[in-house]
Amino acid sequence: MVISPVHYIALPLLAAFLMPLLAKVNRELVRIIPGVVLTYLLFVSVVLMQRVTETGQPIIETLAGWQAPWGINLVFSQFTGFLVSLMVFMATLIWIFSYRFKKVDNEPALKYYILFMMLVTGSVGVVLTGDIFNMFVFMEITAIASYSLTSFYRDRDGAEAGFKYLLIGSLASTFMLLAILLLYTQVGTLNMAMIAERMHTVPVGMKVTILILFLTGLGIEAEMFPLNGWAPDAYSQAPSPVGATFAALVVKAGVYSLIRVIFTLFDIQGAYQYLIIMGIITLIIAEFAAMKQTNLKRMLAYSSIGQMGFVLIAFGIGTKEAVFGALFLMFNHAIIKSLLFMSGSFFVYNSTSKDIKGLSGIGKKFPYMGFLFSIGAFAIVGLPPFSGFWSKLYILIAAADESMLALVAIILLVSIVEIVYYFRVVAKLYFGKPTDKEVVHKPTFGGYFSMTVLAVVILLVGFYPDIITGFIHRAADTLLDKGAYISNVLSVGH
Amino acid sequence: MNNIVLIILILLAGGVLSFLLNQIKPLLSGVTAFVATVAAAVLFFTGTGTADNFDFVLGGMHLSMGINGYSWIFGALILGFSSLVLLYSISYMKGRDRLGYFYLNFMLSIMAMMGIIFSRDFISLFIFWEIMTWSSFLIVVYQGLSEGRVGIKYMIFSAVGGYSMLLAIVFMKAQMGTVLISDLVSHFSGFAIQQQTMVGILLLITFGVKAAVMPLHVWAPRAYSDSPMSYTSVFSGLLSKMGIFGMGIVLISVFANSSTFGTNTFYISNVLAWLGAITGVMATFYAVIQTDAKKLLAYSSIGQLGYIVMGLAVGTKLSVMAALFLAVVHTIFKGTLFLVVGAVERQTGTTDMTKLGALIRKMPWTFLAALISIIALAGIPPLAGFVGKWMFYESLIVSDHYFLVIMAFLSSTAAFLYCYRFLFGIFLGQEEKEFENVKEAPATMVIPMVLMAALLFVFGVFPGLLFDPIAKGMEVLGMGTVDWSMTVLSNGWGDHVDTMSIISAIGTIFILAFIYLALWNRKRTRYVTTKDIHTSGEIPTENENLTYAVDFYKPFERAIEPVMKRTMDFYYNHLGEGLESFFNFLRRFYTGNGQTYALYVIVFLVILILFSKQIFL
Repeated sequence: MVISPVHYIALPLLAAFLMPLLAKVNRELVRIIPGVVLTYLLFVSVVLMQRVTETGQPIIETLAGWQAPWGINLVFSQFTGFLVSLMVFMATLIWIFSYRFKKVDNEPALKYYILFMMLVTGSVGVVLTGDIFNMFVFMEITAIASYSLTSFYRDRDGAEAGFKYLLIGSLASTFMLLAILLLYTQVGTLNMAMIAERMHTVPVGMKVTILILFLTGLGIEAEMFPLNGWAPDAYSQAPSPVGATFAALVVKAGVYSLIRVIFTLFDIQGAYQYLIIMGIITLIIAEFAAMKQTNLKRMLAYSSIGQMGFVLIAFGIGTKEAVFGALFLMFNHAIIKSLLFMSGSFFVYNSTSKDIKGLSGIGKKFPYMGFLFSIGAFAIVGLPPFSGFWSKLYILIAAADESMLALVAIILLVSIVEIVYYFRVVAKLYFGKPTDKEVVHKPTFGGYFSMTVLAVVILLVGFYPDIITGFIHRAADTLLDKGAYISNVLSVGH
Repeated sequence: MNNIVLIILILLAGGVLSFLLNQIKPLLSGVTAFVATVAAAVLFFTGTGTADNFDFVLGGMHLSMGINGYSWIFGALILGFSSLVLLYSISYMKGRDRLGYFYLNFMLSIMAMMGIIFSRDFISLFIFWEIMTWSSFLIVVYQGLSEGRVGIKYMIFSAVGGYSMLLAIVFMKAQMGTVLISDLVSHFSGFAIQQQTMVGILLLITFGVKAAVMPLHVWAPRAYSDSPMSYTSVFSGLLSKMGIFGMGIVLISVFANSSTFGTNTFYISNVLAWLGAITGVMATFYAVIQTDAKKLLAYSSIGQLGYIVMGLAVGTKLSVMAALFLAVVHTIFKGTLFLVVGAVERQTGTTDMTKLGALIRKMPWTFLAALISIIALAGIPPLAGFVGKWMFYESLIVSDHYFLVIMAFLSSTAAFLYCYRFLFGIFLGQEEKEFENVKEAPATMVIPMVLMAALLFVFGVFPGLLFDPIAKGMEVLGMGTVDWSMTVLSNGWGDHVDTMSIISAIGTIFILAFIYLALWNRKRTRYVTTKDIHTSGEIPTENENLTYAVDFYKPFERAIEPVMKRTMDFYYNHLGEGLESFFNFLRRFYTGNGQTYALYVIVFLVILILFSKQIFL
């Protein structure tokens, strides 16, 4: 079998469909198969990343032999490849983390793994596809899996959160579909490279309207203010591994599509300022709201929204350095927020309530977990020598290079708020008076393993960022080189 | 391997190792930390010179580490002092929880401080600065007091400081393209005056927070007193000196190239000098009214740093020399005093001066260390504090800062009050029943204290031992050559003070007095206890209290009441409360209602479409 980007989509989807059947053969297979698929995809990522780095050219795969612009194509460039590899890496770790999830009860476990595999398919597909309608389809796959995972626990809160997500998510798909329809009437193609090429023929008023529809629809997925009402509920009600999945995969796919639309499809300068302004508002409101949360998972959710605001600001600055910083931050956010969700949910699991108050002194019972959570907290607020510091530094330098000192000041002021609420938790974890709850659930070996891996990555990148910056630099260059994207995609088969 | 890298690695490895060894045997943890620091100190004092450079590229930025005469002073101070403190710490921390955690963070702080003084560029400076901040935060919350609120306050102020530096760094990077400190010095004159002001203020905020200069000091008293004492001595003695270290670079090297320099100093320096003076006075007042020995020392420490900042900000050769001299000496005597309080706390279980008393007989060596440090603090000859104070006053008078002299005089006079209270409250007075069985602290705690006290004596007699490195350091800062001599202090109008003659005079008096008491008068001397007196012809009963330690300085407290009414804390707390309610207001946006959220989406879309021309075109 020749290794190709198609495997990213075909294999998880196939696994999702086969799992109910295989579950009948052996119940353990339900848990093993996702791991096999993801490990293989990790291997695919390594091979393909090596190939694109060597040749400097993207790998473009057309499905069923139809050439662009008619067929559906997958573009594995240094940019999309980076994101996909990150997603697969995170998915693998989350699989290890949740290997014994619902151990006693196999029927929910089957559901969980099927939805998880669909979610991986969807978010990876969004990034890889070169076709705007296809992107919509993958988006829907992701969304449907996410809705179901949010309301996985069939309690009142879970159902409510799932319903909210569904309500807002359906608006998102409506707007996006509308935008795609309008776009098709204007340019007569769904291939993104071709759309980008023909965009200058579209009348300005129409172009802006389409852009606005895209921005609203995709802004919902990218957790942009004020479209992110669904996010805190979804994060806090979903099962613990799913919170990490949202942060590492779903939001990344949303941000990717937003960026792809703004950077590649359209050529409207105002969109960049729009990103900066909306990013600032998102960042400020989310961090301030996080400050007042009493529930740990909700706090993490708001913090996640804030980070996405920060990413949008960086993309909005739009220079090479800023895009580099933004991608670096996306990478950091994926690993750090997952670590925080994993260790945080574990604390919540072991405490009497979901509240931060209930965590008092729990770090004494689980020193290693407390240590991991602290690493995550330090990293996410951008303290050196953890990985979060570098992305923050690069974004700030990029902003200063564009003489946006006020922006730098705002970001730093908001960061102080961030420090306050994270350190409050850290101080409470370690030095609060311990509650006398005796029943404790030890984390599984898989849980230890994946959290340790994440912590090691955080420290490694923090001490020596150069191991990752090369990939990110090339990814940023690839994203910004619109001409090369168009010519590469369209030259296939010609 | 490069010595600079090696020192950092030894300290880091020592920290990690002591963390791990704690799992095997807690005692090993402290010993490892001590050994690692001593090893680093040996390497520093024997093999590290200006030739040791370490240039590297990290994350696409050219960074550089090295050492010069100025940073050598601080490096020597850090490693020398923390070696002694860690020796003390072995016994002091015995039997406490999570020693591995404590020593890991302790070593990380030391490593970070060494990193700071080695840094030649702002990025590595910032990295180590932040490591210092969070490692010290983790120790401030270590004892679990006040639900971490003190730690959070410390962290907020440190974050304000750290991020000011980061803002200055990204500005510099955008302006000059490099982040080397030497490049800032040479490019500074090219900045517009607003830019100079901005960079200057931002950097001074960073260093001012650590040096606890008014109005950025409110974190300090509680953070100092809540940490374990062996760390507090480092906190007040060394971490705060990192603020002084940075201020020295900014105020002297960088501002020397500011536009308004020349006839008069850059105006920020004057503001800072005054802030230092106010800090000195206010903190001293607060120190006087404390009843807890830890808090007394904490405030006293803030006040003393105010002096040092004043000296640096005035910026003449003499004042800078005085400031640096005081900085070194302050580390030694205040560090010793914190260790003394730690020893007292460990042996008696309290640091409340209204409860303690008469420990002089129980803990004579500790008392000796305390006495010498207090004399040095008060600036009485022949100890090192006197030398610093002499130069300090002289420099202010010579440079015509008469109001500052008055402020300094006011605070150093008030300082006598708390000096006395400290000695009296803990060591003198009437013996208390509950402290009957108190023993002297173990030798590993006494030795560092006494050694440091001896050092104060040496520096008092031979101040030139310190003048030598300080003069070299000032040359590096760009102040030209500085004259000094080993034992003679002189002033601008021709007076000379020979420390040797002072010491011989005092020594003679002591020897004569000793001979008189011990030999001539031997027959008439006898051992007296506290109750061996008559008051108005009555013999006091055993339980009668003859000394008082409560409301010690009531009249003084009444006198200064008007100034103390509104603390800075009050305003910060109000600001905090205001912000919290603002956050609460913003949070209401997330109503938790799905329909509202859907409405937001629609409204947002409508707004975008309505204003599409303004936003996107």
